[in-house]
Amino acid sequence: MTSGVTNARNERIFKKTSDQISSETARVLETLRSRADYTREFDYFLELAESGMTPEAAETRTGLTTIKLLCVQAPLELIHAAGFHPFKVFCGSNAACNLASRGLPALACPMLRSVIGAAKLAQSSSESPWVLPTTCDWVVKFPEMLAISDVAGEPDSIRVHWLELPHLKDRDDGQRRWIEEIYNFKKFLTSDGRRIKRAALAESVAIYRRAWQALVRLSDLRREGRLSSIWFMLMTGVFFCDSPQNWTTAAERAANSQMTPALRGAKVFLAGSPIFFPNFKIPFLLEEAGLEVVSDDLCSSERIFPGSVACGDESEFGLMSAMSQSYHQGCVCPTFIDNDRRINNILGRMKGAGFKGVVFHVLKGCHPYDLESFGIETKLKDRGLKFIRLETDYSGEDSRNLNTRLEAFRQTIRED
Amino acid sequence: MKVRNIRSVTQHLGFLILMYGGRFGVRLGSALPCFACPFVPGCGGYCYLMGLQGYIGFGMGALTGVGLMTALSWFALFVFLVAMLGKLWCGWICPFGLVQDWLSALRGKLGVRERQITQRMKRRMAMVKYGLLAYIAILPPLATLGFLHEDFYLPFCDICPGKSLLPLFAGETRYLALNFDNGVSLGFSIALLVITGIMLVGMFFKDRFFCIFCPLLALIHILKPLTALRLFKLPEACTGCGTCRRVCPMDIEDVYRQRTSPDVQTDECLDCAKCAESCPADGAIGLKFLKFKLFLSSRSYAADSRKKS
Repeated sequence: MTSGVTNARNERIFKKTSDQISSETARVLETLRSRADYTREFDYFLELAESGMTPEAAETRTGLTTIKLLCVQAPLELIHAAGFHPFKVFCGSNAACNLASRGLPALACPMLRSVIGAAKLAQSSSESPWVLPTTCDWVVKFPEMLAISDVAGEPDSIRVHWLELPHLKDRDDGQRRWIEEIYNFKKFLTSDGRRIKRAALAESVAIYRRAWQALVRLSDLRREGRLSSIWFMLMTGVFFCDSPQNWTTAAERAANSQMTPALRGAKVFLAGSPIFFPNFKIPFLLEEAGLEVVSDDLCSSERIFPGSVACGDESEFGLMSAMSQSYHQGCVCPTFIDNDRRINNILGRMKGAGFKGVVFHVLKGCHPYDLESFGIETKLKDRGLKFIRLETDYSGEDSRNLNTRLEAFRQTIRED
Repeated sequence: MKVRNIRSVTQHLGFLILMYGGRFGVRLGSALPCFACPFVPGCGGYCYLMGLQGYIGFGMGALTGVGLMTALSWFALFVFLVAMLGKLWCGWICPFGLVQDWLSALRGKLGVRERQITQRMKRRMAMVKYGLLAYIAILPPLATLGFLHEDFYLPFCDICPGKSLLPLFAGETRYLALNFDNGVSLGFSIALLVITGIMLVGMFFKDRFFCIFCPLLALIHILKPLTALRLFKLPEACTGCGTCRRVCPMDIEDVYRQRTSPDVQTDECLDCAKCAESCPADGAIGLKFLKFKLFLSSRSYAADSRKKS
């Protein structure tokens, strides 16, 4: 009897959450479609966002089994060369986040809570494995969080391949260990007997190289003020929902089209925790406050992958080694210890683009970014640049407060 | 036009002019800071190392007069050429450098892995080039003064793999044969064959393997304070992605490691600028002539230039 009541209650909660997620998504999509800078070239990306950003949907589109990823350290080229589709699991839904909150620590990462909430609802049929780099504590505890939330049984029952990430990038032994990890990852991908040939690896590198070129073009357009940050974030946000070739073609088509941003404002750089669809609260608030994001270093946006793999040695070992180094040394995730050159990335992207302010987005519970924001603030202020730190979550309750702070920030930039 | 295409064009032009130019009346003298081998029939100019060996011997023997003046004038020309183009001679013009690049390209086509040399080992191997400079400076005068057999007059040329390999492109094979004129000649010809064999294997498995030992590179580096053309880095723009290290044919780590000074022109650097081309950080690595920046790295350039690589 009690179990029956609980099940019925759960069903009601699930139904309500599901409706809320649909409504969140529809609201954002409607807002995007009604923007003055909407063009038909964005339809592909809107459709991807609309038709479900799940591993199952990506499997249907690509015809390939997905490898579910968190974070950006697993080499996409290697996964693709093995005949899988790399899918970075993410969710920006506040309703999904709330659904998963019960039983989890109050300050657990909202992004992971949202992913867990969405997984609870979907009752995922995908048997595809997870590949998790040991970045932050939340990612390390992710299988346990899935188990606590009844998405999976015991943590051991979840098929996970761990990539043990050396947190010191500059040390030779760290790099050696990481290459070893990537070779172990290759073994994992080929454990069912499939082979990764050098030609496939080279082709895969070329495919992602083209995707990166398209991404750089879009990023340049945004920097020149011809592409709104909102659209840029949508495009990068759906990168994993389809094959990289299809995404690249659509991105190139969009880059070649005539685009005029709907709004123009004071130019700012956006740094910090990732922003995932449909949680575009921060980008919308920035626009409302008259701030225009012309560059960012979010791992959900400009840093969805580290760039094209460049190497002097085109042999299999050369490609593997270059790939592993690109995804390790080329990553400026705050979970690294020797991450001092991250500030150079921010300053380099800001240079010559005529902007003087940095907006640092911290998701409540995202401790690495939270901690790093203080050091970055000091370094930026030492250089005479403006800085604002926005600590928020997926809920919309603090929007008014954030808006007031952002408008004041815009004033300080203008006065400068 | 992309930097790598310009480099390829200058390398091939350099090869044609320096290897075959003499057949069309091109005479660029004896002070070229690259491996323009005088043993190639119809070459367009001579490598300065040959002149250096000859004039060191001649200068020590004559000490005064026209010989010494000629030696000094060729040296002055060599210094001028180095001051103008620096190590561009190595990365963009040297015919023997291009031959090494062809071997690397062949290795790439065959999918053979490039062998890694540890930094420690490479530092030790790099000292050989300074040893060879000392060898060039000491032996010819001793031969001129009669302390050594006269076949020690060009001791470096006699063991230089350029002498055995470059003439092959002009159909000249005799430097691959043993020379039985006397014991010294035979010793040198055996040494040349052994070194050529080692270098061929080394150059196939490792980019620019010979350049690690090249005494001309050492000599050009000694003149570094005079060179107008330099590779530089803005450490504050570097994001530490390590691309520069991966694409460097000499596996130089200093560009990546440098965090304070703009000077990244190490003794092994060939000024090929591959690091600057591939660097995805805006303005982090560049090539300059005096104060004029010839090239600066940028993300857009790096993305675009890798299209067909």
